[in-house]
Amino acid sequence: MQLDTALLVGVLFGLSIYLILLRSFVQILFGFTLLSTSVNLFLLATSGSPDGKTVPIIGAGPNPVDPLPQALILTAIVIGFGVTAYLVVLLYRIFLDHDTIDAQDLFHPPKKTDDNSP
Amino acid sequence: MNEPIYFVAAPMLIAIISLFWREPSTTRRLFGVLSAAFITLGALYFVITLSLNEQRLILNVGDWKAPLGITLVLDPLAAIMLFLSGFSALASLLYSMFELPTRSEHPLRQPLLFFLLTGINLSFVTGDLFNLFVAFEIMLISSYALLTLEANDWDIKQSFPYLTINLLGSTLFLAACGLAYSIYGSLNFAHMASQTTALAGDSRLLVLATLLMCVFSIKAGIFPFYYWLPNSYPILPTPLAAFFAGMLTKVGIYVLFRLFTTVLPHDLTSLHTLLAWLAGATMIFGVLGAVSRNFIRGILSFHILSQIGYMALAIAFFTPLSLAACVFYIIHHIIVKATLFLVGGTVSSLNGTDDLSRTGGLWKVAPILGLCFLLQALSLAGIPPLSGFWGKYLIFVEGIRLHDYLLVAAALLAGILTLYSMLKIWLGAFWSPLPDSGELHLHETRWKPLTAVVAAMTIVSLAIGLGAEHVYRISAVASRMALDQSGYVAAVMAALGKGGF
Repeated sequence: MQLDTALLVGVLFGLSIYLILLRSFVQILFGFTLLSTSVNLFLLATSGSPDGKTVPIIGAGPNPVDPLPQALILTAIVIGFGVTAYLVVLLYRIFLDHDTIDAQDLFHPPKKTDDNSP
Repeated sequence: MNEPIYFVAAPMLIAIISLFWREPSTTRRLFGVLSAAFITLGALYFVITLSLNEQRLILNVGDWKAPLGITLVLDPLAAIMLFLSGFSALASLLYSMFELPTRSEHPLRQPLLFFLLTGINLSFVTGDLFNLFVAFEIMLISSYALLTLEANDWDIKQSFPYLTINLLGSTLFLAACGLAYSIYGSLNFAHMASQTTALAGDSRLLVLATLLMCVFSIKAGIFPFYYWLPNSYPILPTPLAAFFAGMLTKVGIYVLFRLFTTVLPHDLTSLHTLLAWLAGATMIFGVLGAVSRNFIRGILSFHILSQIGYMALAIAFFTPLSLAACVFYIIHHIIVKATLFLVGGTVSSLNGTDDLSRTGGLWKVAPILGLCFLLQALSLAGIPPLSGFWGKYLIFVEGIRLHDYLLVAAALLAGILTLYSMLKIWLGAFWSPLPDSGELHLHETRWKPLTAVVAAMTIVSLAIGLGAEHVYRISAVASRMALDQSGYVAAVMAALGKGGF
């Protein structure tokens, strides 16, 4: 039973979804970084409890942990890095073009304050 | 047997070779067009031979036997999809060659298009869930890049929802991979399918299937996950919009089809019912969105959604006939949708805009373009004997046979509203006289070769409608072989290689 890992994955998922739903680009970006971390932790948990197991290297000992989830995580980290880099650049470009870091202002720009008409 | 990898390796090589040109030139464009034509013909060869022999070609990459290694499987369904992706890429490249002079084409457009094709093709031939994730990432990263490559400063914000929703979808997909691994102990499709009876009644399977359905509903644009699509596709340049509209959401539909038929157990009836109702909602909301829009690309983007609804409904009915109808519908839809986007692009190059209140008068100057549009629009709405009719007809027959009258009524209503919104484009762009605020750019001679590309695609689409019997026979073989889990497992496990259980 890996209750602690399960709880940690749940909390991380909840936190990252909360951050993604916020309006600021910076918080959305952190939300996605945290989301990929939490899903990687979830993948790691699928290899089962590591108690009494050795590293999955030939000659390291009997009863190694399942190495496949670790291979999946490595791939996922590389892909996640690329996509996060792209997201940073895209958000920076949107900031340059629209002069805002607020997702709400991006799609529903606030009315200009110097406009005197009701 | 190395055949399955050709369709992944070839586009990747072409993309890399294209990068070496640096600047777009006529030679590079011809190279792209010829190689796309070659890939399309190769895929057509496999569609015909594999469906005639009812055969699967299997490659164990690195010679490791399934379920240890990565398996690539080329069966008739995958071959059909490979043909369609190659054909759409060919049309997109040809259109882009005639649309823009060499110096104004973005140097990265052609390489990225082929990288996109690499990802799409890999997701068709893969026989492994994690490899499918990698294929989707290759495809999505290329599509993010293409979406923002030529977008102007105002439109760039529309790529933000596209990126975020797809990132969320990819992360959920990764979680689904982990869940599948913990249930099956493997991510190989054949190995997963072989455990269907051993895991019968396991409630974790329903969780996994629901999660996978959510993920690919996001990718396919099924209600309620579709709002990212209709605003992001119109910012693409015409040839790319045609390719995206034709292929990308259909990759989601293909994976749903593959997972429900080949990998997951067939008795998930509650999930099929859920998918059917979501499909009904997708049809109605998609077509209502199309009715509300007043520019051609906006209308067509919403139509992608309502048509996705038909395909998802065909999967949800889950009878042999409706699954065959789904394959037929995919074949019909990809070609028709890409053509309609290309017609929309030609209209905007003739009128300078695709806002329907400022277009008009094209029937007199470009009757062939109008004829192509009319044929494809009627086909989309499902008027016999055009290609759209046959797929819809089979879906309706199955719906009535299963007593799902409400869903059939929704599908009929969506068909009528499709006709209405298509007529809106027809009246606005072709039939009505040019409004005073409008303008015609007839001195530009480029629209004539563009019309030729559109006409060639219309002819292919007409051939599908008139030769429906042959296309249906191939679709029926493809869907029957996808449904045959034991045959799939036996074929994959029998493939030569080292290791294995």
